[in-house]
Amino acid sequence: MFTWVEDITMAAKNGSTTIEKEQIFGMAEQEMEYRVDLFNRLTKICFDKCIDKRYKESELNMGENSCIDRCVSKYWQVTNLIGQLLGSNRPPM
Amino acid sequence: MDKSMLGDLDSLPEEDKIRMSAMIDQLQIRDSLRMYNSLVERCFSDCVDNFRRKSLDKQEETCVRRCAEKFLKHSMRVGMRFAELNQGAATQD
Repeated sequence: MFTWVEDITMAAKNGSTTIEKEQIFGMAEQEMEYRVDLFNRLTKICFDKCIDKRYKESELNMGENSCIDRCVSKYWQVTNLIGQLLGSNRPPM
Repeated sequence: MDKSMLGDLDSLPEEDKIRMSAMIDQLQIRDSLRMYNSLVERCFSDCVDNFRRKSLDKQEETCVRRCAEKFLKHSMRVGMRFAELNQGAATQD
């Protein structure tokens, strides 16, 4: 799941400098925080869109379950779509 | 976000594994605290809207319990679906 595992393993094998290793750890931490943030936002939005706020019971009903599944799926697709758009529009360095 | 990510990390040298593990622990604690606060805010907003008394009435208390349980169940389901999508598992519409 994480791309930097190979980076760190290689850095360890090659005896890379501390700076390079620090950079990789830094990127790893950023990626983890990004994923946590993504999950939290996704959870919040799908709750707001799918769940009846009257809280008539503590269980999720069938409709809510379906809504949640679809919401997560669509949110994921939007994430990928935006990712593509941002990727291709990056200005040349 | 959980230690199952460490499955990825088995190939890392021991000291890096420990460091990654500590990082994940920290993220987990921070996220749990954040979740606590946001759940309180959500259930308070949705369930409490009169201030005739200092104590919550039965209705408000029931509402808060359902709200919290519902959100936690919702969060678990989102987590399940999110993990599936991360692994590239295609599901039915």
